[in-house]
Amino acid sequence: MQVKNLGYQGIYLPDAKLLLDGSGMDIPTFITHAHADHVPRNRRQPVYASPATAALMRARGHSGPIEEILFSETVSFPGSGHAGSGHTGSGHTRVTLFPAGHILGSAMVFVETPGASLLYTGDCRTPPSPASEGFQLPDRSVDYLIIEATFALPIYKWESHEVTFQQVRTFVSESIREDATPVLLCYNLGKAQEVMHALASCDPPVTVQIHGAGEKLCRVYEQFGVDLGRWEPYDRDTLSGKVLITPSSSLDTDMIGSIRKKRIAYVSGWAALEARASQLLADELIPLSDHLDFFELLDVCRSLAPRHIWLTHSPDPSVALHYLQQEGFSCSSLDMERSDDT
Amino acid sequence: MTTPPPGTFAELCQILAQIMRTRSTSRKISLFSGYMLSLQSDRDLALAVQFIADGAFPALSGRRAAVGHRTVALTAADFCDIDYDKVFRPCRTATGSASETIEKLMHNLPGAAARRTPAWLGLGDVSDGFERLASASGREQKQQVLADLWQQMTPLEIRFMILMLGQGSLRIGFEVRSMLPAIAKAFEADPGQVRRVHMLTGDIAGTALLARQGKLGTAGFRMFQPVAFMLASPLETSTVPDPQSYIAEEKFDGMRAQAHITPETARLYSRDLNDITGTFPDAAGQLREAIDEPPSPAGHLSPLNPPREVVLDGELCVFRDGHIQPFQHLQKRMGVKKPGKHQLADHPVLFIAYDLLFLDGEAVLDLPLDQRRIRLESFCAGTGIPCSRQHNIDTPEDIGRLFRMALEHGNEGLMLKRRDSLYEYGQRNKSWLKVKQPGGSLDTVIMYAHAGSGRRGGTYSDFTLGIRVDEDERYEEQFIPIGKAYGGYTDQELKKMNQRIRELAVERFGPTLSLRPGIVVEVEFDDIQVNRRTKAGYTLRLPRFRAIRWDLAPSDTDTLADVERIYRERVENSGQVASHDNPVLHLKK
Repeated sequence: MQVKNLGYQGIYLPDAKLLLDGSGMDIPTFITHAHADHVPRNRRQPVYASPATAALMRARGHSGPIEEILFSETVSFPGSGHAGSGHTGSGHTRVTLFPAGHILGSAMVFVETPGASLLYTGDCRTPPSPASEGFQLPDRSVDYLIIEATFALPIYKWESHEVTFQQVRTFVSESIREDATPVLLCYNLGKAQEVMHALASCDPPVTVQIHGAGEKLCRVYEQFGVDLGRWEPYDRDTLSGKVLITPSSSLDTDMIGSIRKKRIAYVSGWAALEARASQLLADELIPLSDHLDFFELLDVCRSLAPRHIWLTHSPDPSVALHYLQQEGFSCSSLDMERSDDT
Repeated sequence: MTTPPPGTFAELCQILAQIMRTRSTSRKISLFSGYMLSLQSDRDLALAVQFIADGAFPALSGRRAAVGHRTVALTAADFCDIDYDKVFRPCRTATGSASETIEKLMHNLPGAAARRTPAWLGLGDVSDGFERLASASGREQKQQVLADLWQQMTPLEIRFMILMLGQGSLRIGFEVRSMLPAIAKAFEADPGQVRRVHMLTGDIAGTALLARQGKLGTAGFRMFQPVAFMLASPLETSTVPDPQSYIAEEKFDGMRAQAHITPETARLYSRDLNDITGTFPDAAGQLREAIDEPPSPAGHLSPLNPPREVVLDGELCVFRDGHIQPFQHLQKRMGVKKPGKHQLADHPVLFIAYDLLFLDGEAVLDLPLDQRRIRLESFCAGTGIPCSRQHNIDTPEDIGRLFRMALEHGNEGLMLKRRDSLYEYGQRNKSWLKVKQPGGSLDTVIMYAHAGSGRRGGTYSDFTLGIRVDEDERYEEQFIPIGKAYGGYTDQELKKMNQRIRELAVERFGPTLSLRPGIVVEVEFDDIQVNRRTKAGYTLRLPRFRAIRWDLAPSDTDTLADVERIYRERVENSGQVASHDNPVLHLKK
């Protein structure tokens, strides 16, 4: 099956006549999740997405039509197997979304053509984020796998959600006990809500204030049944005694500068690297990731045993490729090749 | 994580990790003083303090485990059963730190975990291990000792033992200036006294023991036990708020040293308190002779009462034909353990005094600078030992005037010293300030980017700079390396450079990227030195960024011919006036 990496314009599957996480082509376009590096740059682009992803995209300003596809529900399109559209039968491309465990709404796109099947994971995490719809692999065979490899080095190995969630709760309760405002630096879609979900089970309960654009996204999470505990939009005058959740980009702003006594935690997979602590002046690093670690990535590859594996979104795919090759997999980096024919 | 038994190396490492994660200095001090109190034996206390402040071996011992970074990394890759080039190096690039990488791999890789069983080694066991490493010969033996130790350690212990091998900072934000108050706090001692005992003995572990035993009062100065050096801070503005309270001295371009002199022996100590007498027998010999046979008639000292024991602070310089020679000349003598006749004749080294710390049992260092100076001048006049000239500062403009004068004399810049300051270890309240002029600047191009360590881990923060040789017949290349810079830019500039670097990257060697010429850097440096081992034949001393010249193209950069010209000018201009009327030092001959 042919795969072409078009950079920010997405991943193009010429045989299936599909575009994944991109825009600009007049063919069915699937969006795995609502993070900015995956949604179309053209906000009017018609796309297919899971219901929660559709809601989050709208909350972030996507104005084009979004066809909502439920998980495990299959939609069919005329592929390019034969010239001309509208052709039915053996030329069909069938697409099914499976939950990816990354953030709410995140989906893996499973594509079946008459010749072969392909799974594109988008961003994913297994075991899944408790603030997502879970993680599920297709029950049919996967011939080709495009898998995200953001943290594909053996220095990355995540603790269980239970352990990291407890680290978040302990950080918050200890800070409050010391009369300091806990400031959690979290990306405002996904990580922020995952952390709020972790804090929802604090005893005694805590109230979270969320900065800026996070508010609308939290409402979507709640519509889809995720418990975010007690929270309210950021208000400088009433912050005392509460928890502030804000992206690390706001670190230099007045909002954080004006807090008299605070303790800052950086919550991210990148918090696994100690150099980040001094870069961000964080008191605590909490390596809570919504991406696969190195070992989880190898496990997913082993369980699917596809004919070929492409790694994508990796700062350095060489180590994972080395391990996969040693295990006998055919594999390559989608980012390095830009486009690839198999 | 399992709690390690008390008194073990693993427990110390857990405290270190806690200190690393704590931002407040007072909290770090509390953590460590609490830990010191929990230690039962004197040996454990001394080792714990030494491991943090000095490293695997006491700083005063001058000893090293002599295990290179590469040996450690190769052993780790081997221990974890991973390919060094294909797995270990990319991981180290990502973290920017070998010790952090090894800790994580030891923890994460099932193969490595299976080979380790924590034996809860005591501090003494680990110290013995360091001894075995030092005495092992050859890479293979050292690797064997390392692996034996690691088998008995947790990943955290492995990480810190590797850092201790470096005899440098553990990078946990807990240096000597925090350790000293921690000792005082733990043993309810006077912080000033703790500082003083450390300064006089140079032995921080010993200071901790004396503090615990309540015997700080018994510690004192001894001849031939070097005193920790007082250091200068750079003057960041063009002047000081109260110029009259300072004096100025010209800053010699030499090597800082402390001299302990008796009529029988003179010894010289470097800033890291190591004995360097053997390297500079000429300078030491002159000092001893000066005390042994003072030129009595002219001196202020009575010939009946010559000094018997003296400690001086000063500078070693090559002095020939009545001039202080540029640093490049001294370099030919530095590190030569036993200089030969020719070296001594070609590059004679002189000790120039600028402070007096002890004189016949009197702790002169407790006096304010002005009073030390009176004694120093009288002593130097009596013995003929040269000492620096001092200048009063009356107006803020004097600083600029004296600075320009110092440069005209071929010196490096100016030292400003507070008249009322006592001699104290380290950079104390900006009592000493140094004013330096950059040696010059060059427009260079970035040839290689290196992933940084520590705070700048994970980004490319160190840069090999190239000088243009495209029209130079001696070279086939376009650019050749001239120096390595790793500072002087802002975080934002670093970010922008890192973006550009990705576009320019040609090839990767572990943590290093080779780049197409594209980023022009105006680099500032203290000096140019001849270095025949490099392709260019010259290296820049202390190169740092002055500006990233996004406005310049690689073809606009300076050439090797420019470097050679600047070097010649600097060496030629550094001639100084004759000794009889030397404006920078009092010299009696």
